[in-house]
Amino acid sequence: MADLRVTLCGVPLKNPVIPASGTFGFGREFDELYDISCLGGVATKGLTLKPRPGNSVPRIAESRGVILNAVGLQNPGVEAFIAHDLAWLRAKTRVIANVAGSTLEDYGEICLRLDGLVDFVELNISCPNVKSGGMALGIRPEHIREVTALAKASLKKTPLIVKLSPNVESIAVNAKAAEEGGADCISLVNTFTGMVIDIERRMPLLANRTGGVSGAGIKPIAVRMVYEASHAVSIPVIGMGGITCAEDAVEFLMAGATAVQVGTQNFTDPLACPRIIGGLNEWCDRHGVAQISSLTGACK
Amino acid sequence: MREVTAVIAENRAIARDIFSLTFDCGEEIAVRPGQFCMLGVTGFPLRRPIAVCKAAGSLVTVCYRLKGEGTRALARLAAGEALQVLLPLGNGFYLGAQEKRVALVGGGVGIFPLISVIGVYAGQRALYAYMGFRNREALCMEQELARCEKLTLASDDGSFGFHGTSVQAFLQEVDAVRPDVVLSCGPTPMLRALKQGMQGRGIPVYVSLEERMGCGIGACLVCVCNKTDGAHARVCKDGPVFEIGEVEL
Repeated sequence: MADLRVTLCGVPLKNPVIPASGTFGFGREFDELYDISCLGGVATKGLTLKPRPGNSVPRIAESRGVILNAVGLQNPGVEAFIAHDLAWLRAKTRVIANVAGSTLEDYGEICLRLDGLVDFVELNISCPNVKSGGMALGIRPEHIREVTALAKASLKKTPLIVKLSPNVESIAVNAKAAEEGGADCISLVNTFTGMVIDIERRMPLLANRTGGVSGAGIKPIAVRMVYEASHAVSIPVIGMGGITCAEDAVEFLMAGATAVQVGTQNFTDPLACPRIIGGLNEWCDRHGVAQISSLTGACK
Repeated sequence: MREVTAVIAENRAIARDIFSLTFDCGEEIAVRPGQFCMLGVTGFPLRRPIAVCKAAGSLVTVCYRLKGEGTRALARLAAGEALQVLLPLGNGFYLGAQEKRVALVGGGVGIFPLISVIGVYAGQRALYAYMGFRNREALCMEQELARCEKLTLASDDGSFGFHGTSVQAFLQEVDAVRPDVVLSCGPTPMLRALKQGMQGRGIPVYVSLEERMGCGIGACLVCVCNKTDGAHARVCKDGPVFEIGEVEL
């Protein structure tokens, strides 16, 4: 039995596997399938100050090796999450509250509301599917620095993760900007903006026209970005983008990640996260790795 | 709800572009009529949500239409091959004890979830089935449908039965049949016509909706429908069956 425990910003996790925001709700549905207390943590569905209805359907499409989604941050609002789901989820595992805002002020306010209540706040400045806020604040390094500093000022107790968009000029520059703004950790990558056209109807397949591309097909790009970002900063990194199995997770760890998030694969295989945790244990045993944390940045 | 590695017992064409797939879950699965499953297709990141047509012990049958690359890959699977399946999902159709006269109105692949109603309730309730097909080549499930108290077949091209949709056939007879409840599944324009035709009659109508899905269990909020009260409902978890007045079509 390898030691799968990792420490992120001083917070111990039982293993480095976390379902990614937007693919796992608040954990209740997947908990009907398996006990989610086996997970390193759960990144919640993106939360906003007020409830959001999200986009029109269709909200999902498939292309070879990837999917595209444009849910548009449908969520019941941060207060409903705190009232109905937080205590239940936190009794199960570490809670990474993914938060989004329409304005800079929203980010400060929602962080203030969650400070001390969750294990981490993950700042979503990289959602490609909403018109204002979202990715608009996550592209230019000066904006990243500003929104990070504002969020950090509202968080006295809870570590801040900044989730970076891959739809940028330099991931290393943006990672550095998040660190300079006061981020305790960065996570990447969010989805790539993409489009699928229904050639029979001569129309975009998604109601939102464009959507975020995720899944196995983006993995090499994501690994490269995690590698570049982790070399640009000294804060820990959470890696994600197309992880389907334990070997993929190991790749992200070696690229410089301390923990990983699994998104699309939760749809392909609803038992993906526990399978990856089991697979990591086997992989470490097979390779004589006593502590999984020793793999972080192990790529020569 | 369970994730099983099923073994395919049979996968064959039963009509033009329509396949019937039976798999053995290795354990008894209790499925309510109108529930569905998420079928994994190797090489495709999204599972395919498909209504259960029949369930008996560990054997489950679903029927699907060849539509894109995923269903074509599914059609190539042979008996003995393994299949990842998440089931049973969704709310399904419920019949109250007082609902003795039941109209089933189906069109296209929408007939298949209604076959599961026949499987459970034939002989116990008076089932009046109105089933629409594109043409003669699409006709299937006649044996199962014959178990209903009364069966009306409809074809879009008039090649057999009633010339028109199953909704048109049903609405002509609704006053004579006087059903206690109507269960329906089919293309959205068909459900819209049913909603309009049944307005003000005071007969409850339940429809099973179809939408592109992500997780199939209510977590990802991909497959929402608009409710008439302005809220969104999850087709996979809150549905797929809704009271027709509850949802916008």
